[in-house]
Amino acid sequence: MLIVVDPHSGVPVYRQLMDQIRLHVASGLVGPGDELPSTRTLSAQLGVNPMTVSKAYGLLEREQVLERRPGRPLTVATRDDAHGREDRRALLRESLVAPATLARQLGLARADALDLFASLLADDAESEKPGASPDRADPSGEDER
Amino acid sequence: MSVLEFYEVHRAYRKGADVLHGLTFSVERGQVVGLLGRNGAGKTTLLRVAMGMLAPQHGRVRVFDLDPRAQAVEVKRRIGYVAEDQALPAFLTVGEVVDLHRALYPTWDQALAGELAERFGLERREKIGRLSRGQARQVALLCAVSHRPELLLLDEPAGGLDPVARREFLETAIRLLNEAGTTIVFSSHYMSDVERLAERVVMIHEGRLFLDSDLDSLRESFSLVLVPPGEGVDRRRLLLVDGCIGVREREDALHAVFRLPPERARAALDQALGARGANCRTIALEEMFIELVGGRS
Repeated sequence: MLIVVDPHSGVPVYRQLMDQIRLHVASGLVGPGDELPSTRTLSAQLGVNPMTVSKAYGLLEREQVLERRPGRPLTVATRDDAHGREDRRALLRESLVAPATLARQLGLARADALDLFASLLADDAESEKPGASPDRADPSGEDER
Repeated sequence: MSVLEFYEVHRAYRKGADVLHGLTFSVERGQVVGLLGRNGAGKTTLLRVAMGMLAPQHGRVRVFDLDPRAQAVEVKRRIGYVAEDQALPAFLTVGEVVDLHRALYPTWDQALAGELAERFGLERREKIGRLSRGQARQVALLCAVSHRPELLLLDEPAGGLDPVARREFLETAIRLLNEAGTTIVFSSHYMSDVERLAERVVMIHEGRLFLDSDLDSLRESFSLVLVPPGEGVDRRRLLLVDGCIGVREREDALHAVFRLPPERARAALDQALGARGANCRTIALEEMFIELVGGRS
């Protein structure tokens, strides 16, 4: 699971961890039952205080994104579809707040803004078609030669 | 129990310059505290007082509930300390310096010392005088942590280190936290290190405690408000707005720090001044430090 920390952003590190784990879960990159790295491993790997990692883990457990069974490592919790959809909506909503504010500040008409969003959605669907993303890196990692 | 306690600590130097004017705060077991302040703010003096190297002229300092001057040996055995300008004897070898420390500390963990020496790439036979500044600090760090201290005091530990060595330093501290829940108080000008490691920041300005806050709530409950000149607001009026704790006059705008999250700062501003063109946003530690301390003196 790829997690990066930006110590210069105004967002607390535990929030950054929570947001990224939530995104990984919501996007299906990790699925129910998948194990999370231990607090110790993740804190060493990211170079952050272990308390910060356990705070993020603890809060995600409370939100039932993660679950811990006695004697077992922390895993991704099982979510029903309705919940999963709700999570994905919430994530998207959060990152749309800033563009919505910008649209208002720029004085764009509602229809204009919605149009733009619709066209971005369409572009995205385009590039996800097979063969439509030629610039993907060679997965063998041998493109250095 | 507090591991470290300063109560109304006052310390002036012989020439009369006050360094600490009655500083009070304490550090609980397992806490990691980042000590922030400009050069000359009193951070080094504070750490030296904790080490018992300087006595407070008024007030009281307690380490593990002991007096660091009266019970110096017991206190020092349980503390690890890296000074800002650690001077290790240049004529000794790395091995000799390490052995000297090992002899002083009953709890010395030779396996840890060996592992760190290897990780830092330190040769036992190398003379201290021939080491780079960064390597010399790594020797100092190794000596400060290998007796597995309960409290680690680090004065600008990253000063003079390159980014790779700084990261190793950070990882060593994180390892101690993971393995033993060591209490750490460190001063640093590298805000990104503070953001990664500290859970609490104590800001000192001109010998006084300026701000003492949990780092997460610092990021969540403070904001930077930029008021452009066209709003017809001056510094004095801005300072009177609820939640405003400091204003700096800059050419582009007034820069104000609010002890409120951005949305609430905006609401307070709207209500008090109606300054709609103001920009309210979260503030990273480095900006916060510059805004709060940079505008003074």
